[in-house]
Amino acid sequence: MSARAAIPVLAAALPLTLVLSACSSAGAGTTGTDAAGHDTQRYDAMSHEELVAAAEEEGEVVVYSFTSRIATVAEEFRKEYPGIAITEHDIPSSEQIERLASEHAAGASTADVAYVSDAPVVVTQLIEEGVLLPYVPPRMDDVLPEEHKEPLVTNRLSTKVLMYNEEAHPDGAPVENLWELTSGAWEGRVVMVDPNGRGDYLDMVTEMVLRADEMDAAYQEWAGEPLQLDDGVENAGYQFLADLYANDVILVDSTDAVNEAVGATGQDNPPLGFTTYSDRRDNEDEGWALQVAGEVAPAPGIIFPAMLGVTADAQNPAAARLLIDFMMGDDSADGGPAYAPFYVPGDYPARSDLQDPEGALPREEFAAWPIDPEESAAVRGEVADFLLTIQ
Amino acid sequence: MTSRWSRALLNPVTLLALVVLLVLGVLVAAPLAGLIGATVPAGAGGTGTGTSWRDVLASPMSQNLFWTPLRNSILVALGTAVLSTVLGGFLAWVVVFSDIPGKRLIGVLATIPFALPSFALALAWTSVFRNDRVGGTPGLLGSLGIQVPDVLAWGAVPVTLTLVAHYFSLSFVIIAAALASLGGDLIAAAELTGASRLRVAVRIALPAVSPALLSSFLLAFAEGVSNFASPALLGLPVRFQTLSTRLYGAISTGDTERGYVLSILLVAVAAVVLYLGNRATRGRNFAVITGKSSRPRLVRLRAWRLPVLTLAWALIAATTLLPMAVLAMSTLTRRANSFDAGFTLHYWIGASDPGISHGMAGVLRDAALTTATGNTVALGACVALGAVLLGMLGAYVVRRHRGPFVTGGIGFLSYVPFLIPGIALGAAFIALFGSGAGPLPSLYGTFWILVLAGIAASIPYAFQTAKSSLGQVSYELEEAATLAGAGTGRRIGRILLPLSARGVVGGAMLVFVTVVRDLSLMVLLVTPATPLLAVQTFRYASEGFTQHANAVTLIIAAVSVTATILARRLQGARRPWNA
Repeated sequence: MSARAAIPVLAAALPLTLVLSACSSAGAGTTGTDAAGHDTQRYDAMSHEELVAAAEEEGEVVVYSFTSRIATVAEEFRKEYPGIAITEHDIPSSEQIERLASEHAAGASTADVAYVSDAPVVVTQLIEEGVLLPYVPPRMDDVLPEEHKEPLVTNRLSTKVLMYNEEAHPDGAPVENLWELTSGAWEGRVVMVDPNGRGDYLDMVTEMVLRADEMDAAYQEWAGEPLQLDDGVENAGYQFLADLYANDVILVDSTDAVNEAVGATGQDNPPLGFTTYSDRRDNEDEGWALQVAGEVAPAPGIIFPAMLGVTADAQNPAAARLLIDFMMGDDSADGGPAYAPFYVPGDYPARSDLQDPEGALPREEFAAWPIDPEESAAVRGEVADFLLTIQ
Repeated sequence: MTSRWSRALLNPVTLLALVVLLVLGVLVAAPLAGLIGATVPAGAGGTGTGTSWRDVLASPMSQNLFWTPLRNSILVALGTAVLSTVLGGFLAWVVVFSDIPGKRLIGVLATIPFALPSFALALAWTSVFRNDRVGGTPGLLGSLGIQVPDVLAWGAVPVTLTLVAHYFSLSFVIIAAALASLGGDLIAAAELTGASRLRVAVRIALPAVSPALLSSFLLAFAEGVSNFASPALLGLPVRFQTLSTRLYGAISTGDTERGYVLSILLVAVAAVVLYLGNRATRGRNFAVITGKSSRPRLVRLRAWRLPVLTLAWALIAATTLLPMAVLAMSTLTRRANSFDAGFTLHYWIGASDPGISHGMAGVLRDAALTTATGNTVALGACVALGAVLLGMLGAYVVRRHRGPFVTGGIGFLSYVPFLIPGIALGAAFIALFGSGAGPLPSLYGTFWILVLAGIAASIPYAFQTAKSSLGQVSYELEEAATLAGAGTGRRIGRILLPLSARGVVGGAMLVFVTVVRDLSLMVLLVTPATPLLAVQTFRYASEGFTQHANAVTLIIAAVSVTATILARRLQGARRPWNA
């Protein structure tokens, strides 16, 4: 073949190359500024007025959020700070964690603020790696309990708890003790999302293992005799999970599938299920009769944080902090319009000075276990592995 | 020495092979290498712990984490591949060769299931077959008092059948394109020998389109093995887990490394299937386009007309009309998945009402919808163009190049992108194009990184369709052109491209539809400045706004169907005598 023959080939390959690379000039071209230690401290220490001034100087802020309710927050933020252009972007927690970590590693442009769930994964993959930094707004110092300041600031708490169908059971929950779910009466009648496929459900079963003593006491209370552990089963928490799976617990792929199964009206024998307490507010809309089994021993499930962090590579460090401050709510009893999207019955404000939303159990009467992201992160892998051996 | 190298380099095919391998290297091999690196301990050059391999392959968990899901995956994927190819092949034969009425319409309708998201087909299945195992509202049969056994409601059977309902339409597009290129003389010759019509179809027509059957089988297998929505929705309630549900489960509970090990094993399974498939057809010549073109002859079905007609329409009704109807109805019901509470147009055109869906207005009132539709179409078109070009050049190299490593490498890299989890592909693209370090431009945050990711994810369709249609073009045509002094570029542009246009357009259509329909990796790369319809659906679905999400899904289906009809027009224009 001659050199001349190669030219048409190159011509044929040219459009391909064009498609692939010609528009490289369209690249964003922004490089991450390194938020050095003293910078971070300077911004952390700013008063509200200083922060607003610095943020308006920056003029923009980008946020990744695991919930699309961020759109409403952004609208309120625009009203309050018309000089700061906010760009909101919703990405589910797993994808968000991967994206933040990859962007950090590549030095690519990234968000200023991350609003994220899946706390135990955030701890190991983002905080320990220095991808996300905590920021506690100074005015939150006194009103935010210590456990909600670390590892990141928590603005609200969500739940995964046992719920039942109140149309079929108008006199209250049909069970008083979690161990009843392992009995013949509920064989194949308990529904939950597969904990091997969803972080919040893995957190829930992990908490049962971490609270093995309480699970043990609850068994004694229910059965009237001490719990005998199976061979190779370490504690009462693991034993409960083994018995639950042996009792044909039904696994599904989403909380909506649980809600539909448990809550749908017109059922003679509806199952029980672990799902989100605040989904009860959709009862009328969706034709459900969901109600929480709040009295169940030792606890109906878990309550866990949704957290706000500043990215280490934030382009707009002041505006990032201002947005976090904004998302914690104002000084009114319900947190005001900025907090309104999160002020729903069944979710709980992290701030101690906000009133619990009406239409759900007050926080002090709601016995769900609060999770500790760090402790949970340490054992959830083992729990996931255990579940894989008992199916 | 130097001159030998430079001569080899100047060989157009070698040069082309280098270009294709380079592009595939960046788009596919680099993400794959990243995937492997993340599972290798830091001491051995990777970035992981390395313990995940033992966890998956040789630990007390292996049975439920790997071996059983592997068996289930292979079962589902083989079932999907065989049934899709058989049904798609049957329908293609009906549309191209038979004389039944309404076959044009069948031809359009048969491409729709591929444009529907797989969850829509799973949803359609549950709306009929759901039994009381999970609780909630029973399906149609259950509400009529018929007890549906678990085996029909959940697990392997419904997962496989809903995947077949989805992917037979992929097989249809590929096989129909190949059948339409069969000359009438071949069939006529066979009929002269006195062979029956069935015999001609099974013994002459089908073998002649073997490359298309193989491509259809390979693509449906890869889709079946990588699909997540169907087994998650229909398999989990009876603990029917596949490799894809296990690998996404591991990733979304934070054990990324384990998820990556599972996806590498999935790639290995696919590589074996690819190797066996290619070996089965190696060394045989399937050229049917020889220069002497003749019109395909219609087969008169006579007594077979009614059964064939019934079967074809039953297939269309079950896989296209029913799922579309279920989806459309679900956007109109006041309450998601329930017909009792009445119907409303609110989710399409309603103004914000605090009592419904937390005040979310109808989808047609969303200002971002027009932009999202525009972006989606632009993205689909750009990706289709890029992928088809790359696929065409790749297939040409595989046709002409003698080196087994080059052809094997291109074949492998063009086959496995389905099996790389979207989250891994997205992460690799951020690493490659995130900061503009090295030779690669900084495309992150632009429209073009979406195009590149789209090409990477959809290259299997483009490559397989190009390979199957090039396989039909006789080498003699090319050789004659060479003798007449035509160079490689001229031969591709003037002979191969026009003669394989039908298949290539079909491939472009498949790529377009995939990109438009759902590309989970987009969530990792998309920026607020470039909203896409598929991301919009996710946004609604994640907040439980089922009707809104389904309404956007219908819009996506409408865009895809429009593209399909346009593509068929384009195919028809090349060969006006075909339906």
